[in-house]
Amino acid sequence: MVRKRQPSKQMRLLLQVLAEERDVWRHGYELMKATGLLSGTLYPLLMRMTEQGLVEAEWREPAQPGRPARHAYRLTAAGYAVARELADTIADRPFKGALA
Amino acid sequence: MTLFVARALLRLARACLGERHADWASAMEAELEAAAAAGEALPFAFGCLTAAWRAMFTSEQGHFLLTSYALVLGMVLPMAALQIGCALFGLPYLYPDQHGLAGALLERSPRQDLLPSVYQAAIPALAMLQVMIGLGHLRVGWLTLERDWAGATRWGSICLAATATLILFMAALFLDGRQVVLQGAVLAIELATIAVVARWHSQLSSGLAQAR
Repeated sequence: MVRKRQPSKQMRLLLQVLAEERDVWRHGYELMKATGLLSGTLYPLLMRMTEQGLVEAEWREPAQPGRPARHAYRLTAAGYAVARELADTIADRPFKGALA
Repeated sequence: MTLFVARALLRLARACLGERHADWASAMEAELEAAAAAGEALPFAFGCLTAAWRAMFTSEQGHFLLTSYALVLGMVLPMAALQIGCALFGLPYLYPDQHGLAGALLERSPRQDLLPSVYQAAIPALAMLQVMIGLGHLRVGWLTLERDWAGATRWGSICLAATATLILFMAALFLDGRQVVLQGAVLAIELATIAVVARWHSQLSSGLAQAR
């Protein structure tokens, strides 16, 4: 039987933050501030989630002219589904606890 | 100064990430300005370097980079140091009576009495050849890290040919050539390892091209 690997705490946090505004492209530094993750944790996570098809990345032109283009990220449909599933699991937990 | 160090750390991160993750290296560099504006350039850059190291240990591209550096630092450079050391500092084995370069040029043993002028004339040329082989090794190491496989193979072959020449001349002068033969064997192993690493790089590059 293949055991499905549970997402890490950091990945859950990132999914949660990205799912809050699903269609908005967020920059790396902005995500660091929103999640409280350090760049050494955030970037490997973003790389892995992009490879898994949970996050899409795109070079976005800056709002102010003369600034360099920046990499921006948002959830894919699959990523959003995972985020929703995780949110539902968390929401179900107190209920399950009450049953036990 | 902080920004300069941060940029240097990010360049190091780019080197660790390799071709496959070059886009991610650019993404990190593009965020540096935002981090610097918040006064966090250095922690941000150090974090990116940590991320690059982590990626290096988990990806095949990273394993390739580590292997090529291990080959150069663990095999090619020590061999170069040994060759140059032998020639410049006169490690004993190369010269008559095991007394190093000074011994070969100054001391007179019974054997040297037989062919003193031949030895005196040949030793500088042999030492020079040994230095050239050592420098050739340095070039092989440099080209390996630059992934110039054709160049590394060419220079490796030149070193091998020079080592063969050294062995022949030492044999002609009745010098103990066992250590040089051993060095020639190590050089042949080096060349074979470089060929394997080059093949691995070619497979990685074709995989990367297909992925794009």
